[in-house]
Amino acid sequence: MKEKDGTIDCPQQQVILFVEKEDGKYEPIQTGSYITKNFLDDYELKRRHLEESLKKQVLSGEVSPIYYYMILEDLTLSELSARAGIRKGKVKKHLEAAHFSDIPQETLQLYADVFNITVPDMLKILVVTSADSTNLNTGS
Amino acid sequence: MSTIPYKHKMAAHCESGAVTSLLNNAGLDISEPLVFGISSGIFFGYFHKMKSFAFPTFIVRNKPGSIRTNLAKRLGIKFHTEKFRNPDEGMKRLDELLEKNIPVAVQVDFFYMDYLPEWERVHINVHFIVVVGKTGPKYIVSDSYFPNLVELESSSLRKARFAGGSMSPQGFLFYPEYIPKEIDYKKAILKGTKKACFFMLKIPIPFVGIKGIRMFAKKIVEWPSFARDTEHLSHEIMKINILLEDQGTGGAGFRFMYATFLQQASVILGKPEWSELSKEMMEIGDGWREISLFAARIGKNRELGPERLKELGTMLNGRADVEERFFRRLRNSI
Repeated sequence: MKEKDGTIDCPQQQVILFVEKEDGKYEPIQTGSYITKNFLDDYELKRRHLEESLKKQVLSGEVSPIYYYMILEDLTLSELSARAGIRKGKVKKHLEAAHFSDIPQETLQLYADVFNITVPDMLKILVVTSADSTNLNTGS
Repeated sequence: MSTIPYKHKMAAHCESGAVTSLLNNAGLDISEPLVFGISSGIFFGYFHKMKSFAFPTFIVRNKPGSIRTNLAKRLGIKFHTEKFRNPDEGMKRLDELLEKNIPVAVQVDFFYMDYLPEWERVHINVHFIVVVGKTGPKYIVSDSYFPNLVELESSSLRKARFAGGSMSPQGFLFYPEYIPKEIDYKKAILKGTKKACFFMLKIPIPFVGIKGIRMFAKKIVEWPSFARDTEHLSHEIMKINILLEDQGTGGAGFRFMYATFLQQASVILGKPEWSELSKEMMEIGDGWREISLFAARIGKNRELGPERLKELGTMLNGRADVEERFFRRLRNSI
């Protein structure tokens, strides 16, 4: 790759790229991320849609907030279980809305640590806003 | 405690970057591409179904940790390493080393590096940073992926060093404790290259090396069956670009950095044919870059039908063919 083809203006995310300089030498340059420069808006759109769809599932009682954050943070059941130090079978239960209220405070804290949020923040998604009420209108 | 004088430099990759920067700061003049090449960093592995990954994925570098171990073995450098069961002990030990003015590399879960933008941060337990000081509750960190030295909350560093899950860091830390005065780079380069050729051509594992690229090419058409919906598939397809370009590779899935290694090695070894091979590797990298751009484009446009995925598969098979020829020639030139 020639230096001129690798130079991308994206101050939000800088990366190191190895390129061919004019004298033929290969050297690192500090440049911008191609995908962040061109497609960050698309990432944010998809993220918003995912959050909305998961929140809808939480509010309609299909899944628990633990499931919400597990999917958002791209974790598998085994990975979450290993990271939180909670048996897989228990985590599986905790992903269901029906068992969420039985989770002790200390266990919630273990999950919150993995998700890097506070327990109150984790519970915030259970609060229905007016926007959610519109989204939750299933026509019944 | 204050900051240890430390020359921070961005690098292509976190592990080769941390190792290079520690060695540079300890007085050894070695480039990141040489570290990467000598430690047989170039690689390919495809993982279709694994418990720890929520979606099929691939890697373009060797096993985490082996850049340090291979380099140490081949150059005669000794790194002091430690792991901890107890987080308090692990944090205390780090502080003690910093008190002694020793910059220390630590293994962390990338997710807790809160100085990086949210869209970059994923749970991956094999990120490496160098800690160079502490001011109050914050550590001063040299991260290859960030332009300057940066502060990280003590609580975030603790969570990151003691995250559980696959390849959990267990507080792992290292720093160089012995660097030989005389180093035989020639022998180390040849050994590292030989091993890289073995991994790319000969290793009898169906998802590693050239075989791994071919498996990826074949299996990519199955990706829609793992996706929740089109947007999820689009996200995963666009991640091909991120894994090849943004997640610390120096571009084109490490192929540009490997080309640079070969160019530098051709001078050290006095092998002009390696200069030709380095040009070839740069062109191979251009092909990987096309794959990255193609993946980003079809993901963004939601053109994710079987035809497009087959096209992506054909492009990947093209890389497998050229890399197979390339690594055979490289192997024969040793």
